[in-house]
Amino acid sequence: MSTHVFNKTNIFIALQYLSARKKQSCLAAIGVLLGVTTFIVMINFMTGVNDFLDDAVFNGSPDIIISTKTKKQRDNKGLIISSVLENSNEIDKVLIENENVHSFAHQILTPAILISDRKQFPASINGVFSEKEKEMINLERRLVEGKGFQSISQENTILLGISLAKRLQVSVGDQIKMILPNGNNTNLKVSGIFSFGITTIDNVRTYISATTLQGLLNQKNGITNIHVKLKDRDDVSLKSTLVEEVNGIGVEDWKDSNKTIVIGNKVRDILTWSVSFALLLVAGFGIYNILTITVIQKRKDIAVLKTIGYSSNDIVFIFLVQAMIIGLIGALLGCVLGYSISYMISITSLDTSDFIIVETYPINFKMFYYILGFSFGILTTIFAGYFPSKKASRVDPVTIIRGI
Amino acid sequence: MILEARHIDKYFLEPEKRQVLKNISLVIPDGELVAIHGESGSGKSTLLYILSTLDTDFQGDLKIKDQNIKTLGASALTDFRNKHIGFVYQFHYLLPEFNVLQNVMLPAMKLSKKAKEEIIEDALGLLDEMGMREYAKRPAYQLSGGQQQRVAIARALINNPSLIIADEPTGNLDQKNSHLIFNLLKEITENKGKTVVIATHNSTMYRNSHKTIEMIDGSIRP
Repeated sequence: MSTHVFNKTNIFIALQYLSARKKQSCLAAIGVLLGVTTFIVMINFMTGVNDFLDDAVFNGSPDIIISTKTKKQRDNKGLIISSVLENSNEIDKVLIENENVHSFAHQILTPAILISDRKQFPASINGVFSEKEKEMINLERRLVEGKGFQSISQENTILLGISLAKRLQVSVGDQIKMILPNGNNTNLKVSGIFSFGITTIDNVRTYISATTLQGLLNQKNGITNIHVKLKDRDDVSLKSTLVEEVNGIGVEDWKDSNKTIVIGNKVRDILTWSVSFALLLVAGFGIYNILTITVIQKRKDIAVLKTIGYSSNDIVFIFLVQAMIIGLIGALLGCVLGYSISYMISITSLDTSDFIIVETYPINFKMFYYILGFSFGILTTIFAGYFPSKKASRVDPVTIIRGI
Repeated sequence: MILEARHIDKYFLEPEKRQVLKNISLVIPDGELVAIHGESGSGKSTLLYILSTLDTDFQGDLKIKDQNIKTLGASALTDFRNKHIGFVYQFHYLLPEFNVLQNVMLPAMKLSKKAKEEIIEDALGLLDEMGMREYAKRPAYQLSGGQQQRVAIARALINNPSLIIADEPTGNLDQKNSHLIFNLLKEITENKGKTVVIATHNSTMYRNSHKTIEMIDGSIRP
C-alpha cells in the first residue's frame, strides 16, 4: 500500500477535477497570472528606475561632502569667491583614522562663465586632483567623447558635461574661454565630454586640474571641499564625528543631498510591493473561492473517495495539487507575460531632457525578481488552496452518505 | 467467519444522548448474502456503517477477517477498507468527472498493487460481467440509474475484497432494475464466494437472502 500521497493516481484525479471545470480553473489561473505579471512589470520598472537614479546620482556625487560653514567670502577686491577650507589638515587626520572611509579627495570649487565661439554659459568648475578623484567617481564609464581624468593632469584642459557641451556647441578638441569671479580668465581645451544622465549635473559640471584652478584663483593649496567615499554608505556616523572634532565645517551626506531621490525610491518600493501584494491577494481569493465551491459541491464524491480507500492526506493532496497546478500555470505565464511587457517598455523610447537623460525606460531584468514573482504566485495558491483542501479532507463519509 | 461483532452499543449525542444500538452481537459467515432490514430509525443503517468500518465511534468489538477494527488507526483503516471491503450505495455515487472504466479503476489505482494495464483488464472483465463493457469509455453521468449501480458493483469488486457492503442498493431503482441488481449481488456470493451485507427495505430482497437480520429499536429481533 502506498503511503506517499505524491503519486500518479492522486495527480490523475486532481487533473481530472481540474479539466472538468476548465473555465473556472482558467479564470483562477488568469488571476494568478495578472498578479505575477503586475509584480514583475512593476518591480522590473521601479527597480530599474531606482537603480538608474542610484547609479547616476550617487555615483556622480560623493557619499559625504565637507565644506566650510561660512558659505561665501569676499576677497580683497570685494569679489565673492567660494570659501576656502581652513582646517583641511585636521579633517584629513580624522578621515585617515576613520575605518569606514574608503577614499577621499580634495576639490576646489568655483562658479565661472564659459565662453565658446558662439555661446556663453555659467558653469560649476570642479578643480580636482585627478589621481584622487579617480577613486571617487568612475568617469570612464560616463565618458561620451574624449578622455577622462588623466587628460586634465595637463594644464589648460577641461572636461564638460554633455548638456553643457551641447549648449556651448563645442566638442572634444575645441577651445573655450573661462572667466572666473575674480576676473582672471584663461583658454582651455575640451579634452573630454561626460554624461551622468542627470540634467542638473550634465548642465553645469566641469572638471579641470585643481592646481590650475588654485593658480587662477590665487589660492595656492586652497581647497573648498573634501569628498569622501564610504565603505558602508548607509553608515554615516562619520558625519557626526567630523562635526564634533572639527570646528566651522559643514558636512552633508548623500541622503541630505539627494533627499527627493531617496524618498522617490522609497515611494516606488512601497508602491510596487503593495500593488503586487494586493493583486496576488485577489488572485488568492479567486483560488480559495473556486476550491471551496468545488469542495462543497463535491462533498459526496469526496466521501466516496474516502470509502473506497483514499485517506484524508490523499484528499488534501488531490485538492492542493489542483491549486498548485493553477498557480504553476498562472505564475509561469505571468513570468513570460511580465518579461514581454517589461521588454516592450525597455525598448520604448523616452523623450525627456528635463531631469534625466535616458533614451529608453530603464528596466531591471534581474532573474531574482522572476524567481520571486514565481514563488509568490505559487505560495499564494498554496495558502489559498490549503484551507479548502483541509476542509475536504475532514468530510465524514458517514454523515454525508446517510444525509441523503 | 468473515465478520464478528460483539456487544456493540452506539449512542447518538445530538440532539440529546440516546442509544441507537443496544448490545448487538452477530456473526456473518463467508460467502453469504445477509440482509439487514427494519423500519426507519431501527438502527439498521447505523449498524451497517459500523460493520463497514466507516463509523468507529462505538462500544464493543468488531472483527473483520480476524482483524480487530478498533486497533487500527485512521489511515490503516482506510487501507483496510481499500483492500477488504467494497461499497455500493443507494445513490450509485460514480464520480462524474471520470468515465465508467476510470470509476471502476479508482480503488485499484489507490491500492496500486497491479500495473495499470492489469487494472484495466480487471475492470473491463468486471464491467463485462455486469453487462456494461460497451459503456466503458462513456462519462459516468450519461448512464441510467440501473447502469450506474452495475458499474458501482464492478467498482466495489475491483480490489477483490472479501466483504461487500450495500446500503439500500435498489432503493432508487425501478422493479426491473432492482431485480437485476439483487441477482448480481447474489451471484457474487454464489460464484465468487464473497460475503454481501445489504441494508434494505425491499421485502422481496430480504426474503431471497441467505440470512436476514431484523432490527427493532436498536436491537436484533431474536
